[in-house]
Amino acid sequence: MTSTLEHVAHTEAPQGGGLARRQNIFTGFLGGVVFGWASWAIAHHVLDQSSRNFSDMVVLFLTFGWTVGFWLGIGALNGPGRWLIGRDHTRADDLYYAGENQGVKRYWKFCTDHKVVGVQYIVMTAVLLGAGGILAMAIRTELIVPGNHFVDQQVYNGFIAVHGMLMILALIVAVAGPWGNFVVPIMCGARDMAFPRLNALSLWTLVAAAGLLLTVLGVGSLTMGWVVLAPIADQAGIGMDFFAMAIIVFTVSTTVAGVNTICTVMTMRTKGMTLARLPIMVWSAIIAAALGLYAFPYFSLVEAQTLMDRVFNTSFFIASGGGTGWLQANLFWLMGHPEVYVILIPAVGALFEIASVMARKPVFSYRTAIAGMAGLAGLSMLVWAHHMFTTGWAPNLGGPFMLTTELISLPTGLFFLVIVGTLWRGNIWMKLPTVWLFGFIFNFIIAGVTGIYLSDIPIDNQLHGTMFVTAHFHYVFVGSVLFGAIAALCFWYPKVTGRYLDETMGRISFWLVFIGVQVTFGAMFISGMRGMPRRYSSYALLFEHTNFITTIGAYMIMAGMLVLLAAVVRCWSHGEASGPNPWQANSLEWLVPTPPPLENFDVLPVITEDPYNYGKELVRS
Amino acid sequence: MSIDTHAEHDAHGGHDGGHHEPPEVVDGRQRMAIWLFIGGDIITTAALLFTYLYLRGVNTGGHWMSMLGYPGPQMAGGHTYAWYQNAASLADPTNVMVGKLAAGLNWTVTLLTVLSALIIWGAEKALRSSKNAKNYSMTCWVAVLVTVVAIVLSFKQLQSIPQIYVAVNDSQTMSYTTYDSSMMVIIGSAVVHLFLLAFLGVGLAIRSARGVINGDKWYQARLVRLFWVWVGVSAIVVSATTTFINVVH
Repeated sequence: MTSTLEHVAHTEAPQGGGLARRQNIFTGFLGGVVFGWASWAIAHHVLDQSSRNFSDMVVLFLTFGWTVGFWLGIGALNGPGRWLIGRDHTRADDLYYAGENQGVKRYWKFCTDHKVVGVQYIVMTAVLLGAGGILAMAIRTELIVPGNHFVDQQVYNGFIAVHGMLMILALIVAVAGPWGNFVVPIMCGARDMAFPRLNALSLWTLVAAAGLLLTVLGVGSLTMGWVVLAPIADQAGIGMDFFAMAIIVFTVSTTVAGVNTICTVMTMRTKGMTLARLPIMVWSAIIAAALGLYAFPYFSLVEAQTLMDRVFNTSFFIASGGGTGWLQANLFWLMGHPEVYVILIPAVGALFEIASVMARKPVFSYRTAIAGMAGLAGLSMLVWAHHMFTTGWAPNLGGPFMLTTELISLPTGLFFLVIVGTLWRGNIWMKLPTVWLFGFIFNFIIAGVTGIYLSDIPIDNQLHGTMFVTAHFHYVFVGSVLFGAIAALCFWYPKVTGRYLDETMGRISFWLVFIGVQVTFGAMFISGMRGMPRRYSSYALLFEHTNFITTIGAYMIMAGMLVLLAAVVRCWSHGEASGPNPWQANSLEWLVPTPPPLENFDVLPVITEDPYNYGKELVRS
Repeated sequence: MSIDTHAEHDAHGGHDGGHHEPPEVVDGRQRMAIWLFIGGDIITTAALLFTYLYLRGVNTGGHWMSMLGYPGPQMAGGHTYAWYQNAASLADPTNVMVGKLAAGLNWTVTLLTVLSALIIWGAEKALRSSKNAKNYSMTCWVAVLVTVVAIVLSFKQLQSIPQIYVAVNDSQTMSYTTYDSSMMVIIGSAVVHLFLLAFLGVGLAIRSARGVINGDKWYQARLVRLFWVWVGVSAIVVSATTTFINVVH
């Protein structure tokens, strides 16, 4: 079924046999647990149990075993194994892995169909957001009144770290995962992703990484926030080892996904789909993928070095051995700031798409939109040290980094220009995706303006480490990215399911989340400006009222998200039928049947115009 | 988006057509992927060298190649060991220096990596000109053998990294200076790459022996060669850096 299999002899394989055809998520977990346990047992047998690092060593063995076992169990290594012995998959094998005629079972498997992977990413995103959201509620409940003891303080610290990283992982994949897989290949006129097996590998590697990250909650002892600052990370318990391995495994997933996305777009576009005709969502996907390829190697390296300090007694971040925490900070933030835009850019790309369709107008200044996204990606590589203004690292570089950070407001300003320009005097269709789009615009203004304050060194010296910073980046991630992701879900949901997301439930969800965001993070800004530090499990009476309000707002957000979840689940089978092109859009994903068939197109289309020629009669197949 | 579903379908069309593109098209796609993976690997290598040069540059407490303490007895394994005490309790602390890693061994591993890359490159050229898949298979096994030797020597390198015996109050452990730490992660990264090359080399050897790769279907040989040559180039860059920039004067 795929275009990557040209060297394969296309003989039909006998049907129904082989262990590989019995692999699914359960055998994946079984493999992970068995190999993890075996590695744990081997570690106890071969390692010196009196060593100070024995526990860390055991965790290293265990996590490695879990990952490899999970890959083996789910079937991710079948392809490389068969490549090694020169017995490539047959056409029948490929169709099997693509889930042909397997119904819903294919969603529980290592399935190579990009649409199945897209749906699996939707579920994975929901799981990560759900887990991170529950932790957020626990954190806010702890903070509802000063001196509360809803959770133990060490547990609270662990919640802070794992909540942060779960949400970061969730938002990295929230748009690029589901829609980068489900719609981007169809938008290009491709039958699948360039490398379908790598596509499935990226998804299931994320599952393996998420398993490791969630284990941190069970073993505790992660006390230094999601950035896991050195040298505190060296002193933490074994939760840190699980955390670091989770990140290393996760970066494998993102690297593979990024390469796949870029190759798909650059080499699999159908005839006539020039770069100038690419839907803007596709541009956002490849820019974010390229930025991820630049950023995530730093992430895996810094976590590998943290592990080595803990397991092998190296001294990267330990001053007594000649190391320095600044190295960790530099490497981490070299990844950390581009990562923000790896998250943001696909959401913005989806919103450009939605604005155009819902306003029945072309994307305003298409090239400016691309320049904005590319400019943001480029600038994001030059701003990392603004996270370190108060650490004392390279004070002489403060000015240049302040400048580059403030320059970020230019490409983000272009985003507003493009969205508002697209909506301007449009015949706006106020459906659910549009509602979330307007919510994004409002929140992103607040996120952007407060970011300018924080980029100024004198103000940052006052606000760094306070709840003001927390409120700012939650306006970015929740108020902007999550709103964009939900808008994208509402927009493409009918293409996945053939049904609309319930308008009433969707609007109830919107207002709960929208008002909740303003209440939660508005009050949090005030707490921060009054000096309340981040990550504390208790606080002075001075901050009592604003924290109470913040917690109430957080509950509203959770309620809104639960309503949305209910709508998504209910409408999947009981929603109003939407037909193949409910928004009367022009891009290719709307011109194929719903749900799109395996390989998407019976015959590949030839593109003769750009996707935003609204106002002209649509030409459909 | 206006589309024309009737024009020029022959290149893609047919129920089964379009799913199986010409090998050149697939090869182009795979080459792009390899270059992107190499791009990611270049970032990783740059980050490794950044780590090395940064730690050498800051030389925290003068501990790039030393730790504070008393020289101690040499212990098993030929490693350099030293006592390291809580600095505050030392009457007359001195810096216990560790030596540089043997440049000869470092360059031996590098040259073996480069040699294996050249073997693979040469074998691919010969395959494309002579169409002799059997020879190609044999040559791949030779490249794998060279790679395995490089892996073994890399482990020897790792073993030779001097540890320092650390005793702080009642806590005792082994530790590494930042120079040694940096070398360990660099060598560790090289080992991971060499294992990957060995896997790919074995795959090429078996596949060519089975005729999956041959004089007409050599695209995968080129893909692997691209990555193999990059690993060789990165080995030279890293070895040159760590050989010529190490001691803090």
